[in-house]
Amino acid sequence: MSEFLRFVSHQIEDFAMQVTFNPTEGTGTVVYNLSLVRSSDLEHTLAVFRATCEAGVSPSGLIKILKEGEIIEGFTIPKDQCGILTLCSTNLDGLLLQRGIPFNPIGGGVIEVADNIPKRFTHLIKYEYTTIDPLQVLVSQEITSALQVIKNGNGSLLGNIRECHMEAEEQVEEVLEELTDGYFTGILDLGLPNTPCLGVAVDPQYMGLAALGGTNWIAALKEEGIHVTMQAMKGLTDVSNMQFISEL
Amino acid sequence: MIKTEHKYIEILRILKDHQEPMGAKRLSELLAERGYVMTDRAVQYYLRYLDTRGFTEKVGNQGRILTTSGIMETDRALVDDRIGFVISKLERLAFRSTFDPSSSTGDVAYNLTIVPNEILEPVSHLFDQVRDAGCSFFSGYSFIDRDPRVPPGHTGILTLCSITMDGVFQHNGIPVKVAYGGTIQVEEKKPLRFMDIIGYQGSTVDPLQLFIGAGLTTIHNYINTGSGFLLANVRQIPGRAEERGRSLISQMQDCGFRFPLTMGKGRIFNLLTDPQRLSLVSFSGMNSIGCAFEAGYKLRTEIGAGTIPFSKVVDK
Repeated sequence: MSEFLRFVSHQIEDFAMQVTFNPTEGTGTVVYNLSLVRSSDLEHTLAVFRATCEAGVSPSGLIKILKEGEIIEGFTIPKDQCGILTLCSTNLDGLLLQRGIPFNPIGGGVIEVADNIPKRFTHLIKYEYTTIDPLQVLVSQEITSALQVIKNGNGSLLGNIRECHMEAEEQVEEVLEELTDGYFTGILDLGLPNTPCLGVAVDPQYMGLAALGGTNWIAALKEEGIHVTMQAMKGLTDVSNMQFISEL
Repeated sequence: MIKTEHKYIEILRILKDHQEPMGAKRLSELLAERGYVMTDRAVQYYLRYLDTRGFTEKVGNQGRILTTSGIMETDRALVDDRIGFVISKLERLAFRSTFDPSSSTGDVAYNLTIVPNEILEPVSHLFDQVRDAGCSFFSGYSFIDRDPRVPPGHTGILTLCSITMDGVFQHNGIPVKVAYGGTIQVEEKKPLRFMDIIGYQGSTVDPLQLFIGAGLTTIHNYINTGSGFLLANVRQIPGRAEERGRSLISQMQDCGFRFPLTMGKGRIFNLLTDPQRLSLVSFSGMNSIGCAFEAGYKLRTEIGAGTIPFSKVVDK
């Protein structure tokens, strides 16, 4: 009999605990998402990824490309396909945990952007209630418009939200300052304590922290009509195995 | 304290539920029914604001209707609020379905799928296949064409919504909660385990629609080989209601309902549930829609679109 189903809130905690990422030095272990595209689409795929990074729609430009037959943690990249590793936003939760900040992952959803400013969540799936990553299913519902956001600053992106205890505000701000444009970024909003963050309520004495999903480039790719399958929080790798898209 | 945004969204929701234009007086009555007590004048004030936002417009002196962006706004605003909305909409429908399994009479809840006439034949063929393979919630479906929700050149397909079952339990004094929608792996007609589940209490989008759209079903495979990933629901009733539940279920089975796939306490396949509560797993009425989606037909389906006399769905 198979293992028991696990809810995403617990999966996030498990992965976040293993993150040793240092975002200023670019060292340590990170959580990755694995995406598969047809080898013939690779060039187009990388162009889309690059565009999302340049527009600030992807939280990190780090990437690793695997060719067919290559194996990662027991998974073999199928024939005629390429595997693409990119950073998962769970890394942010890992950074919070490293500082001992009490936090609860809330959920993933769709964020409305107007004039390049994130306005509100328009859809949300709470992590406690799902065993599949919310963004992994929301990315294929035709409710994102990442390409529009890149083009004119208006549209809908994928994002996620967690809440941190207000007692740790100083430490949260330290984490946010550490996130340089280089390795990992993508903070959309840090809410006030006891106040909804982008329309999502928080627990008493907590403040919301909303961030870009690592999957926005997948949304852009799908909007371009390129076939892609994606698994969020697929595994852990050393960040030194990855390189910047700008250096490819 | 009810916040301003809640009030204006409730106005939009009321207008969305009614096709005809509506004035401030009638709106204020309907708002009061829903717990938003406001004077006509206050409603006027909100309507003027909604006009400037482009969400409503005046139709002569008959009142206001929703604009397209007003309809969109009801699907976007108040995300927290809408998480509960998916389930409360279904609960309303459960309460309204008055089906009595002992006499096969009363109203049942349905899903409405809008199909362009030019693809009606292949689509209904797929619906037939799902029905014949035994992975629908009910042993039939039916068509409607004369309905304001069905545009010209289209046909509406009514499939029975499994929320009907909740209505039956509820009206027989058994409290019931729809807990999860998910995909279930079936091997050689035998359900093995859940692949993934999403709780109705934790999403602004219907879980089954999410699984269909994400391409996580292989219903057509199941029809051909007896193995595949199918859509299923998990609902829960108090453990004490087991005996009464079972007798209602067997009555419903006699009427053509197909469930449960399994029922039990504690461990249900690979899902751990409350040992004091009885979980019922059943195939979803959405398997037909999922099967059509797999074949490339992207159809618009309203889950829990209304209630209809049982005799009208049973023909076909």
